[in-house]
Amino acid sequence: MKRFLATVLALVMALSLAACGSKSAGSSSAASGSAAASSGEKTTVNLWATGSDNVREIYETLTSNFNKTSDQYEVKLNFMLSGTGTQTMVDMLSAAYKAKQTNTEYDLVDFSGDDWSKIVSLIGQDAFTKLDTSKLPNASSVTAKCAVSPEYSQPYRGTTVILAYNSAKVATPPTTMDELISWIKANPGRFAYNTPGTGGAGDSFVRTTVYNFISDESAMVSDDTKWEAQWDQGFKLLAELHPYMYKSGGSVVYPNKNQGALDLLSQGEIDMCPMWADMVLSQRNAGTIPDTIKVTSITPSFTGAVQSLSIPSFGSNSEGAYAFMNYMLSDEAQDTLVKQMAAIPLVSTANIDMTGYEDLKSLDVSKFRILSIGDLSNDFNERWDNEISTLG
Amino acid sequence: MSKEKKRMAFGYLLVMPAFLVVMLVVAWPILTAVKQSFTDSETGGFTWDNYKYFFTDPYQLKNLVFTLFVVLMTVAIAIVVAYLLALYLRFVKSPISRAIGNLYLIPRFVPSLVAVYAMITVIRDSGLVNRISQSFGGDLKLGMMYHAGGMITMNLWFNIPFAALMITAGLETIPDSVIEGARDVGASKWKVFTSMILPLSYKDVVVAATFVFMSNVGAFTTPYLMGGNSPKMLGIALFDQFNKYLRYERAAALSVIMFLICSISAAVYIYTNLKDKDWEK
Repeated sequence: MKRFLATVLALVMALSLAACGSKSAGSSSAASGSAAASSGEKTTVNLWATGSDNVREIYETLTSNFNKTSDQYEVKLNFMLSGTGTQTMVDMLSAAYKAKQTNTEYDLVDFSGDDWSKIVSLIGQDAFTKLDTSKLPNASSVTAKCAVSPEYSQPYRGTTVILAYNSAKVATPPTTMDELISWIKANPGRFAYNTPGTGGAGDSFVRTTVYNFISDESAMVSDDTKWEAQWDQGFKLLAELHPYMYKSGGSVVYPNKNQGALDLLSQGEIDMCPMWADMVLSQRNAGTIPDTIKVTSITPSFTGAVQSLSIPSFGSNSEGAYAFMNYMLSDEAQDTLVKQMAAIPLVSTANIDMTGYEDLKSLDVSKFRILSIGDLSNDFNERWDNEISTLG
Repeated sequence: MSKEKKRMAFGYLLVMPAFLVVMLVVAWPILTAVKQSFTDSETGGFTWDNYKYFFTDPYQLKNLVFTLFVVLMTVAIAIVVAYLLALYLRFVKSPISRAIGNLYLIPRFVPSLVAVYAMITVIRDSGLVNRISQSFGGDLKLGMMYHAGGMITMNLWFNIPFAALMITAGLETIPDSVIEGARDVGASKWKVFTSMILPLSYKDVVVAATFVFMSNVGAFTTPYLMGGNSPKMLGIALFDQFNKYLRYERAAALSVIMFLICSISAAVYIYTNLKDKDWEK
């Protein structure tokens, strides 16, 4: 009896091993389920997005608001936290497209400027549906356009890196890059930027510093390795600025992550840093950083981009995708974007209550410098790590 | 087949599912990583370059030496303090020692991220210590943040309770009669310690030291939030290789190197446990 029981147990264990392997077959049936539409039943729209946690929160608010008012569609959010997953979403989509999958779960995808140009370069704009503006009535008031393949992706908010400064210590902030450099040299230890590769604000600062020396503007949206040779002047400037950066315990420190630099600013250890506009404004309104922290732009500006939505041609619910996209451009959704994450709205601000976020009005999306250098950013970060952070 | 062989075969059959799972989930990824570490990223052929990089690039060598320094300091201080704490808890019977005996494990229950931020708030240049000093007219900047001092201090938060736990367990097995016997024949406290307590507990000390060493070599959270830019701890260097530079072959090589470092400490542990002293036989 014991032996029989033992044999059965062993077989069960072995079989459960085999069962684990066949789980992946189950997920493809879910996609076909979402396309089924009978009257009165809502169809699912799968929305894909990446970013920091504040992006997840805003999308949860927006999707639940949309789902309450829509009787045809139910938007389901698939969110991947950035820093680990961003590479994966572009990879997932290009893999699905290259495998010639159809009717997949990729109904609507949110892209940053960088990711959008990356995916277009990987699988081409025809992998996405050319946007039918008749299905997007709210888009008529949006003047911003994507830098790459503008007819295939609809921008819905802007983000930009600006100069955050402590207005109690800095009466007149610099207005140009040259003034900023002189300020840094005149105030050693009072400026910091986060290590490139750990946060977009520091990335933006170092990349614009380097690309400001390259006169050909097309370099900023090119991932051709030939531009790497022209980085030398910029890196020389960064090395020159190194001794004037924030110091702790006797050596220069570049904090990790955007929040690291913002913490130094709000604690008063530095007086100025490059920072995401939405981080400064939303934290200031929440009271976690002092009211004396203000934002300003310089010329030539740091980078900014528009965040956009696209409909892959291999998705399964384009009508629902259009419906949600249109909702994202409505005054109500844009108001939520401003209030909850201090995003730069792309519709006219006349109908949106901007109290507390007036700074956003001064950020002109049409003047944004887009930086999208694809895989060169890895080489850039590595070069910075080897040349600048090791200066000691 | 003889009955004996049948029973053995049946035993293997029962173990097979668990064994296969371990092979699939643990051994196979390790072998693929080792194979990847010898692969050239461009040609796909065999190469030593990935390993050569970490032993010839001056900054990577600095990272290695720095990591070993921080970890060995952590081990040394943690073991000494933990041992003293364990001796105190074992041999001093008072209400205070009983209270400490109940409370000393609490730091380990604090989630690591919360603990790191708590420490940062206290020791950073604009932190609690600095502000207290400012109220006395000074401006004390500890300079521990972004340097080895801060990281070692943070490591002690987690490792002293753990090491003390292991050493206390070891000291519990020393019967009071042994101590009393030694004292009866006139041994001084120091002699009792060196000739009785230490030999009976050194194996637990080695176990504790090994665990502290291995868990700190690959540490990430503390160095990421409290570490400087150069030299970096190996955990951060590894993160950079695979997440920032996307150099997966080099990342595989670095993880194999870290594995070998840990296996040295494991070898020390195995050696001390295998070798029975004469009086133990």
